[in-house]
Amino acid sequence: MRNLRHRSRSLLIVALALVGSTALAAPKKKPAPKKPAPANTDGGAGSGDSGEIEMDSGPGSGSASAGTGSDAAGGDIEMDENPKQGDLSADLAASDQNTAAVQTGPVKHTPISWKDIIVVIRKPFLKLHRVELQPFVGVTMNDNMITHQTGGGELAYWLTDVLAIGVEGMYYIHEFGEPYDLVARQARRLPTVNQYNWSGALDFHYVPIYGKFALLDRKLLQWEIGFTAGIGVGQSEVVPRDKTFPGFTNLLIQPNIGVNMRFFIAKWLTLQLGIRDYIFLDHFEPTDRSPTHDPTADEAKANADSSLINNIMFQIGLSFWLPTSFEYTTFR
Amino acid sequence: MKKLSQYLVSLAFLLVAVGTASAQVRLNNLPNEPPVRARRLLVAHRFEITPLFESSIDADFQHTVGGGLKLEYHFGDQFSIGVIGVASTSIHTSLTDNILATLPDQPMAGSKVPSQQQFLDHLNTMPVHGAAYVSWTPWYGKLAAFGAAYLAFDFYFQAGLAFAELSSSCPTTAGLCDDTHPGTSTMSGGVVVPPDDNPRNDPPLNSGNRLGLYLGGGIHVFLSDFIALDLTVRDYGFSDNPSGADFNADEFVGNNPKLGDDNRFLQHLFFGAGVSIMLPTTVKRTP
Repeated sequence: MRNLRHRSRSLLIVALALVGSTALAAPKKKPAPKKPAPANTDGGAGSGDSGEIEMDSGPGSGSASAGTGSDAAGGDIEMDENPKQGDLSADLAASDQNTAAVQTGPVKHTPISWKDIIVVIRKPFLKLHRVELQPFVGVTMNDNMITHQTGGGELAYWLTDVLAIGVEGMYYIHEFGEPYDLVARQARRLPTVNQYNWSGALDFHYVPIYGKFALLDRKLLQWEIGFTAGIGVGQSEVVPRDKTFPGFTNLLIQPNIGVNMRFFIAKWLTLQLGIRDYIFLDHFEPTDRSPTHDPTADEAKANADSSLINNIMFQIGLSFWLPTSFEYTTFR
Repeated sequence: MKKLSQYLVSLAFLLVAVGTASAQVRLNNLPNEPPVRARRLLVAHRFEITPLFESSIDADFQHTVGGGLKLEYHFGDQFSIGVIGVASTSIHTSLTDNILATLPDQPMAGSKVPSQQQFLDHLNTMPVHGAAYVSWTPWYGKLAAFGAAYLAFDFYFQAGLAFAELSSSCPTTAGLCDDTHPGTSTMSGGVVVPPDDNPRNDPPLNSGNRLGLYLGGGIHVFLSDFIALDLTVRDYGFSDNPSGADFNADEFVGNNPKLGDDNRFLQHLFFGAGVSIMLPTTVKRTP
């Protein structure tokens, strides 16, 4: 008898498990059709807390209602088609709950239809009040005499989702291009060039364009296009045509403007590609420098030739975002 | 003990059953659904006609600026074939102007410095260039500008064959391209005349037709269902010697059996902007 009781208790547990699992695994039954939505009159709503959503129903639009069971919210929502199981109901229920939570006062009844609802997904990546740490590399695009490669970093704070302020720094290395050697050999002329050593800037970023794209018709990726303007300082150094003469350095005021693309990889990681134009007045070695004319660095610097330079650089970098995640503060 | 084991067996069964049930519940059709529904097929099975403007990027001696036409047929969303042809004019780069300003008017005897005319006449231009290519469009999407303008776009990459007509017009007047035997000895009146080791009076040998490789990448920004802004960076790679001067330091311009030709394979980068017109002008949509 005792064994039987034990056995029956065990069977009860097993039965419960089977019932539970069957209930969870079974497809959801179609909800019972609800009564049609009430007529679209101001006084006809069942609830004063939510607006009615009215179908542009033709004569044959008597399809099944959503039947989410959210009667407490008071709004009846009819779908054109049978609702998908699970997600939409959950979203609507959550939406109803959110609506109930914020609509505490009387709300004017304004009948609306599905055509009045614009579906906008939430931005997949929020930058508001986050810090962006971006190591990057760059290369000169518009100087065929001397090519500069840079390694640098930027620290930016996003005041809003589209505006940021940041500081950047770069260290330059250089190599001479083919024309630098060819001109010397073919035309017997030694090019006058300066190398850049370092630079830093205070930047402001504005991101007015964002979008998404499908990669190979499979993967959806989000991206955005932003503009940058800044002001900074840098140092250039004269490369003497005659190595027996000393070079000299210049401190440069460098405004910059740029455009860049950002691809969102994870909540804490993005990829940037951009073009930046660093504009400055640089000072070059005098063309008539000789042992009797501007032989010292100070003299050469005092008589240097000046020219406005646009140093256009391509930059690519990875951004690490802090905090590493974010929460939405607006409703879905 | 037996009671405990029975409870444990029951509990394990319960957990397995619930776990299995939960896993089944999570299944849905999303993985099999297309990423984008009701998408406008902006390029598939359409002809693309693009009047365009093109300019060289970072040229050494002569900027090449011109206009042309791109014709392309899109087999589907991703693949297309096309041809492009551009007629151009040339503008001196600042490097050329800076060099010219320091060169003598006339050749100086015994000097290796070219005259202004020698330097200029050896430079070549590119009156016509173009390519035939296949194009791959792996990315498409839409963007919102200033929260107001919503535009469709796609990125594409191209590869194919490049062609170019190069032109240099060095006259065979005295001191200008009048060396009849650059780099070689010749007999004159029974006397061996050695090479003059002066590349400045050699024919530049940098004109004629060239075939090479073509690479490109760009973006369509659709302003309407059938008009798109087309921005492209193109690389035409072929054998060239833009300065028309001695490149391999053998003191003559030409093909050296040991050191090779002064022409060498060079990349010619261009930026192009055009307006693409898609035909037919109406688009279809995906389901």
